[in-house]
Amino acid sequence: MSYELNVAHLYGDLMNTYGDVGNILALNYYAKQMDVTLNVKVVSLEEDFHAADYDLAFFGGGQDFEQTIVSQDIQTKKAELIKFIESDGPLLAICGGFQLLGHYYIGADGEKLPGIGALDHYTLAQDHNRFIGDIVIKNQETGETYHGFENHQGLTYLGKGERPLGNVVSGKGNNGEDGTEGAIYKNVYCSYFHGPILTRNGDIAKHLLVAALKRKYPDADFSQQEALPIPATF
Amino acid sequence: MSFRSGVATFAGKSSYWFLHTFLHGGSSLPGKITLKLDPNILRTLGAKYDVIVITGTNGKTLTTALTVSVLHEKYPDILTNPTGSNMEQGIVTTFLNAKNPKTGRPLAVLEVDEANVIKVTQYIEPKAFVFTNIFRDQMDRYGEIYTTYQKILDGVALAPNATIIANGDSPIFHSKELPNPIQYYGFDDQPDGDFKAKPNTDGVLCPNCEHILHYHSLTYSNQGKYFCPNCGFSRPELTYRLTKLGEQTPTSSKFEIDGHPFKIQVGGTYNIYNALAAYAVGRFMGVTPEQVSDAFNANQQVFGRQEVINVDGKRVTIILVKNPVGLDQVLHMIGTDTHPFSLVGLLNANYADGIDTSWIWDGDFEQLADRDIPTVITGGERYKDITFRLKVAGIPDDRHIVEPNLEKVVEEIKKVSTDRVYVLATYTAMLQMRKILADKGYVKEGLGL
Repeated sequence: MSYELNVAHLYGDLMNTYGDVGNILALNYYAKQMDVTLNVKVVSLEEDFHAADYDLAFFGGGQDFEQTIVSQDIQTKKAELIKFIESDGPLLAICGGFQLLGHYYIGADGEKLPGIGALDHYTLAQDHNRFIGDIVIKNQETGETYHGFENHQGLTYLGKGERPLGNVVSGKGNNGEDGTEGAIYKNVYCSYFHGPILTRNGDIAKHLLVAALKRKYPDADFSQQEALPIPATF
Repeated sequence: MSFRSGVATFAGKSSYWFLHTFLHGGSSLPGKITLKLDPNILRTLGAKYDVIVITGTNGKTLTTALTVSVLHEKYPDILTNPTGSNMEQGIVTTFLNAKNPKTGRPLAVLEVDEANVIKVTQYIEPKAFVFTNIFRDQMDRYGEIYTTYQKILDGVALAPNATIIANGDSPIFHSKELPNPIQYYGFDDQPDGDFKAKPNTDGVLCPNCEHILHYHSLTYSNQGKYFCPNCGFSRPELTYRLTKLGEQTPTSSKFEIDGHPFKIQVGGTYNIYNALAAYAVGRFMGVTPEQVSDAFNANQQVFGRQEVINVDGKRVTIILVKNPVGLDQVLHMIGTDTHPFSLVGLLNANYADGIDTSWIWDGDFEQLADRDIPTVITGGERYKDITFRLKVAGIPDDRHIVEPNLEKVVEEIKKVSTDRVYVLATYTAMLQMRKILADKGYVKEGLGL
């Protein structure tokens, strides 16, 4: 039997700055190996997001200007996004997407811009400084090590119910202080890892796909998919 | 370090320091150096010239070279800066090294880095600015497109009388009210339709009302005859129009501008934009379309970026790639080759390449999937990243050679089944590859850029 998953690429035409589309390409690459077809749709400004229509969602990072616009528009999708997340919908959010799932972030001109508060973090801004460079983190639960590149001005502080995606081995992470990087809440994975996090960390792609499959096909056996070997790409 | 190179390094560093310091105002300059050199040297030297500043993300070098060729048809004395010397040091050096002009008032056509425009306009009021385009480019160094444009405008603000000659197909160049006279060039060869840019495109928001722009016609990326269905913002009237696009191959393009036919010995739609910009400057400066055509025909060497190197019978073309839009355009260009070819991708991530390799995922390698390329070789210091990129793009393992070592890449190139080989390389990978080819005697030393 073959499987199908409907993927929402949230604001894919605006939040796409740092190779974010690589995540869609990587999901597709691993999905094929799992006998899964992905139907990817960009959901953008003035378009509805219905939680029931999607099995998986991806929300990338964008430029300051675009993120400001998205910060306004996403309020119209807030209720359905929260519904999706609370019903264990798998979602990957990077940089700006990560920030906008939280309560608020500080924009380029120092203004406080709203997120949707689906996750309990908030984001402040560094004063004329960015964290730029290679980063390595380790997930304490799975023991998996993730490699990436970070480039962010935001300082994110995790809240209730959130675990970090990993603890910083080298690099800066969420805020350069508490050793955390990214966030996990239910089936939501967040990170500052630029752009194509899944291309270097296929394990996360596998977790997302398997979670989506189990949620959509609760009676099927996915032990083969779970056993898919992910060779190192970095 | 030897005594001699120690002295040379010291001399280089102190002159760097000197130029750097005095160009920033020179308030703390030691008196003896001030006596030796005029702190306003750029103002003094630049005053003799009508200066044309060419800036933007992609196409600066070729547009500058083409513009110089075009203007040479009418103006005998033209000063220009060598490739790579587009920041303040290089520009000062260009003027310092200039010979005394033969005629009264020569031209200076300068390629200027986006952030360095202001370092020129502090001292010189140019006659014209040329804006080629602004795309995301090595963002760990340059920042976002709006920031880049603002840096250019900060420089332009000091020269409100200079004419701006801008790419009219790029919405960002129509986003701010400026006091300067402005002329636009662009593509006007298609009937009107209604399109949106590909989802993975930057800069598609209407600068006026922040809705997503539509296009009557699109060339590539976010460039074309844009309009906003919400507020009516649209592409400005063009002064110089590409009226017909003819045959395109990897080594040539035919087209008409304002009804006049042209041919350039280089492929790629992006290079047609460069030619269009050079035409616009030429016309602005009184060069006739016939003279522009002569200039395009006469100057083959300006297209050095696509030099073909003979490696034991293989026709090897090394092409510099540095950002997603450029990469996409190069992929499109080699896709116009009617002959079979092999592909080599060399990725480094040193400072000059951009230390973040994320951008390779924004290049549409998938467009090569149906080309049935017999051999693909990936290498360079970040070979793992480019290898996985091409794997995901659908290159089968049995046609894919992974070889980090560039010396061995050259050996693999000799073995491919095709006569033609395209090598796409980031900046430092290209330098390393050229050095190896030079050491083996396939190419003369030097960059050929």
